[in-house]
Amino acid sequence: MDLDKIEAPHAGASLASLVDGDVPRPRNVLRSKDLSLRFASKTILTGIDLPIRRGSITALIGPTGSGKTTFLRTLNRMNDKVPGFAHTGDVLIDGESLWARHADLLDLRRRVGMVFQRPNPFPMSIRDNVVAGVKAHRIARRGQLDLIAERRLQEVGLWDAVKDRLGDSPFRLSGGQQQLLCLARALAVGPDILLLDEPTSSLDPMSTEAIEHLLSTLAPALTLVVVTHNLAQARRISHETVLFFDGTLVEHGPTADLFANPGDPRTQRYVSGRIG
Amino acid sequence: MPILARRRAINGAFRALSSLALAAVVGPAAWIVIGVVASAVPHWKWSVLTTPTQGASGGLEGAILGTLVIVVGVGIVAGGIGILTGVHLAETSRVRRDGRPGGGLLRGASEVLSGFPSIVLGYVGYVALVVGLHWQFSLLAALIVLSVMVLPYIAKATEVALRQVPTSYREGAEALGMRTGFTLRRIVLKAALPGIATGVLVGLAIAVGETAPLLYTAGWSPANPKAALIHQPIGYLTYPVWTFYDYPSAAAHQLSYDAALLLVVLVVALLAVARVIVWRSQRHS
Repeated sequence: MDLDKIEAPHAGASLASLVDGDVPRPRNVLRSKDLSLRFASKTILTGIDLPIRRGSITALIGPTGSGKTTFLRTLNRMNDKVPGFAHTGDVLIDGESLWARHADLLDLRRRVGMVFQRPNPFPMSIRDNVVAGVKAHRIARRGQLDLIAERRLQEVGLWDAVKDRLGDSPFRLSGGQQQLLCLARALAVGPDILLLDEPTSSLDPMSTEAIEHLLSTLAPALTLVVVTHNLAQARRISHETVLFFDGTLVEHGPTADLFANPGDPRTQRYVSGRIG
Repeated sequence: MPILARRRAINGAFRALSSLALAAVVGPAAWIVIGVVASAVPHWKWSVLTTPTQGASGGLEGAILGTLVIVVGVGIVAGGIGILTGVHLAETSRVRRDGRPGGGLLRGASEVLSGFPSIVLGYVGYVALVVGLHWQFSLLAALIVLSVMVLPYIAKATEVALRQVPTSYREGAEALGMRTGFTLRRIVLKAALPGIATGVLVGLAIAVGETAPLLYTAGWSPANPKAALIHQPIGYLTYPVWTFYDYPSAAAHQLSYDAALLLVVLVVALLAVARVIVWRSQRHS
């Protein structure tokens, strides 16, 4: 893997510097260094080297079982409690190891949010769903919660649909609306990075479009990593694309390049639809 | 036999068996309720509720209050310990290396406990608490023995209810960086509440209907409960049912039926409360 090629400036770079402000921060907000991972005797990932640029959208693609979801879940340490979890190598966030001794797991997960394949609202009212994380992290005072809920619901474009039933169950919303609610919930705690595990695979095309549109507006301020089986989606929304195959990282590059000129024969076969 | 006819025959057989099972459950329950109501109601006097027991006549005020005190006490002691036991078994016990849940010793002990006949528990309570610790017949001895008796039900119901909470709730909470305790209190316990409440209330309904362990530990008192945990015997509704029924007087028989009716009403009320909790908490799920 040619790291220089990956770090070459492209459209996303100027946005990253805009977000950085005065404090110089590493350009790569996340960096996986020779990460290998296994659950008991089953090796899932081998030698993953991957920098993730601040403010970009990175799509992780690859066949089922290629390790892309496991990799994604490693980024906010959701795999740690899986029986038999063991890893070598490291993942750095802003230059610090995810597993550093003084690392605060709860704060890591506040900074690195996650949205799942199936919408998973909590069994509480729509409003309480949005502010659940805010309450857990005591980010805001009680009196500000209504305002936060309103802002976040507006941000994801759900406000008009739910403003008259904030006290209702979220399970009466459509699947797409539930997923937007989960996005609002993840955004409410002010993450820097959002991990999305096939966020639209259980949704209809219109909802998918709404989510994709939202993701593309989030990108400069947030770093997004999206696992997707939908190659067209990867092309539409991501700046960079990474192909996983059998637990290894096959190819990583700007999305347009990777789809137009795949460097690896496996990438070529995957993006042309001949495997996967 | 043609496939359609065969399918119809199997379908019919299962329907018949299901109806039989339904009748086997509903029949005895209805029979008991109708029998108790038919025996008690014709001579029912509301003064039974407010008149103290005198010998084997009078009213049941002391027994009613005693039963209520015992129910509330068992609810607090067994409910508290049982729910915490269930939470530990389902949530906080260390998961074994092969991925199976831990807490084997606690679970095993709880299951063994649920197999003891209540009269044995009562006798152990009598020997250890009433005689051994010189508590005499007392509320505390009764509470401890009844709590030990229903604890396994509540712990099991809590554990099962917690395990049925969808993983997606926990995952979502974990991904938001919620502390385990926060997730448990605000999300998981809330989602499991119907199951836990049902377990507690069924446990209380079982406790309400117990006689043997109470004979050994609570003794019997016709008076209203005293504000004393030990050294004071306490009345309860199953005593008149069990004892007065054998007395020769019509008044004693009537009190026996009245107490049985009150017990049935109390048990039905507890189960109704469980239903209401389930129904209310399903509005957000």
